[in-house]
Amino acid sequence: MHAVTRPPAPALMDHLAATAGPHSQPFGPGLILLVLLVIGGLSYGGMRLSARRDARRPSTRRRAAGPKGQPPPGAQPPAPAPGPRPAVPRPEGGWAVETHGLTKRFGTNVAVNDVELLVPRGSAFGYLGPNGAGKTTLIRTLLGLTRPDQGSMSLLGTPVPAQRRRALARVGAIVDEPRFHPHLTGPQTLRLLAAARGGDAARRIAPPLPRVGLADRAGDKVASYSMGMRQRLGVAACLLGDPELLILDEPMNGLDPAGMHEMRAMIESLRDEGRTVMLSSHLLDEIERTCDAVAIVDQGRVIRQGAIDELTRGAGTVVQVDCAEPDRAAKLIGAAGIAAGTTRSQAGLTVTLPAGASRELVADLNRRLVEAGIAVYGLQEIRTSLEDWFLSVTSRLGDQS
Amino acid sequence: MTAAALPAAAAPAAPPRRIGNWLPSWPLIATKHLELRKRRGLMIALVLLTVAPTVLVLGLRLIFHAVAPATNGPAGSPDVFQALTNLMAEFGFLSAAALGASAGTTDLSEGMFRHLVITGRSRLALYLARIPAGLAIILPLVALTFAALCLVTSYAGAPQPTSVALNGVSVPEHFDQAELQNWLRQHPQQAASEFPLGPAPTTAEIDSAIGHNSAILYENYSSDEVADANPPINEMAKIGLWLELEVGIGFMVGLGLGSLTGQRTVTVIVLIGLEIIVTPILAAHVIPYFIDGQRLVVGVAMDQLRPAALAPGTGGGPGGPGRVLFGGRGALGIPPMPTWAMIAVIVGWIVGWSAIGAWRMMTRDA
Repeated sequence: MHAVTRPPAPALMDHLAATAGPHSQPFGPGLILLVLLVIGGLSYGGMRLSARRDARRPSTRRRAAGPKGQPPPGAQPPAPAPGPRPAVPRPEGGWAVETHGLTKRFGTNVAVNDVELLVPRGSAFGYLGPNGAGKTTLIRTLLGLTRPDQGSMSLLGTPVPAQRRRALARVGAIVDEPRFHPHLTGPQTLRLLAAARGGDAARRIAPPLPRVGLADRAGDKVASYSMGMRQRLGVAACLLGDPELLILDEPMNGLDPAGMHEMRAMIESLRDEGRTVMLSSHLLDEIERTCDAVAIVDQGRVIRQGAIDELTRGAGTVVQVDCAEPDRAAKLIGAAGIAAGTTRSQAGLTVTLPAGASRELVADLNRRLVEAGIAVYGLQEIRTSLEDWFLSVTSRLGDQS
Repeated sequence: MTAAALPAAAAPAAPPRRIGNWLPSWPLIATKHLELRKRRGLMIALVLLTVAPTVLVLGLRLIFHAVAPATNGPAGSPDVFQALTNLMAEFGFLSAAALGASAGTTDLSEGMFRHLVITGRSRLALYLARIPAGLAIILPLVALTFAALCLVTSYAGAPQPTSVALNGVSVPEHFDQAELQNWLRQHPQQAASEFPLGPAPTTAEIDSAIGHNSAILYENYSSDEVADANPPINEMAKIGLWLELEVGIGFMVGLGLGSLTGQRTVTVIVLIGLEIIVTPILAAHVIPYFIDGQRLVVGVAMDQLRPAALAPGTGGGPGGPGRVLFGGRGALGIPPMPTWAMIAVIVGWIVGWSAIGAWRMMTRDA
């Protein structure tokens, strides 16, 4: 197994903007020939039609995308980020995943809606959204498992689906629930997938099994594997191609706490080897613990993306104030205009500072209270978690489980 | 699970050269064969349908004959040979169809299809790999079973007659129609007994009667020959090839239909209906104004190609009995079709269903 060379890690926020006949005759040969020709013609025609459809797609992409892979001119930025979409400099070597205006519909349901996604190389990137937000559909579209209706995309700088085979040679992925032939053992499953992948993949069957903790169960059939073990087998399958990019769809599903911890360590080790790991999840805590950057998706649209610290910082700072006269303190703070909002609570006063507020503002708040003769017993800055922020920006609160 | 890093390498792996190649590689075929072979239930069903009936019947007949030869005849006989071969053809087709349906649907139903697609391998290559992988299972099974039947028929069978009793006249074996006609002309006195020509027919009258009735005479001759004697080696070889073709068609149609529908059970039920209900009706009865449609069914074409030893007493093609490709004489109850049309129907079914299955596999959402 080779580890990929890690590219120079780009500063995330430098690259990630907050965007988003009559029967007595012996025979009637003409009829048979005609039917055969019709059958053959239909089959050939179907394949030609499909090929033409594929051939048309790049031109659609060319129309949709701007020059040099920039977002299409005039494309609307994803809500709720207002204003024009800032130009995002392309990092050296390109993005691990790049989509522009990617849209996938199922009838009237828009599962992936004009998605602009930029995943930096060498990072652990979370694709976070509630159930039904279109996470799996986006991944299926990226991997060529289903066709997009509109937009362009590339994996590791290679446009897909135009050069899908070339791109996927360097990609490993688990999509949805990992299911395999139940009557085969883990190594047999890997052998099957290695044969399909070709190249050196067959030589990489043995190493991933101990790495994912399945060496002891190598002789067992997949039917006897737990969900977590199948997840691990899926990761082992991903590693067959020595991928530069791993796309993991809900990798924590079905794992017990220990398994989640191990999976987290696995993802970190993969990132440390210079691989890009893109994982989708509805588990906010896991994304926060595992990933460097995140894209928040809701109802098919990417509504925010960027480094987690930067995103949560943008949500504002909450300060818990324990003071002698909370009502007077609230009036004072309100009159001073230094807070976005104040609320009374059992612990005293909760003050929400504007987004981007510096720590100096907390000191200023304290000074004003003391100068007004209000005894301050304690000030506690409450860090906004990704979950708080997520809940504040997604439209389907409480849908995640 | 441990987080130990994999051995480092200087550069990212280059895309494998074979990725995208539409021709399936040997490892791909071998692993697909492994995947099918490891399906215990399917393999048991295949053995029960193709091997078990023949082995059971022959085994019991061998034992009975060994224990009580006076009351139980030899294990092999022309009747047993015909019956078991025809059974093998029917069940072989069905089991091959079931195997093909499994090969065409299980990747999808068991969630493996998307893993395979994600590898970047051409979907056409994934489809084509299933063909040799499946045929490598069903064809040897049928070949071994038929070989066992041929061995028992040849070496543990009844003593073979050296002549054919044609209406009481003893005629040498293995004549074709022209040879039979010549022999009868060279033996006018024996031939005369075949026709109601009066007490003292002339040679010219006998010659004329032979000429006029040669087709019927040959049909009776071949029918008696088949009924009384084991097929010669070359006829057995033809039957074996015909059997393999029948089974191969079953697999290819099952694979194509299975890939189209994605439903194994539906595919198997449809093909059982085709083989057990539709084909026998269309091969046996002329439906007015639909005769050409009947001939488009692959089972009808295959029935016409059925070797002589499996179709005693039936008519032949337009050129007369024995003139159909590979010596097939047909078991059709309807007017036969030209050889080229028969070939076109068979090839059309194989190619057509393969194209449909491959197309669906290439366009299906994974």
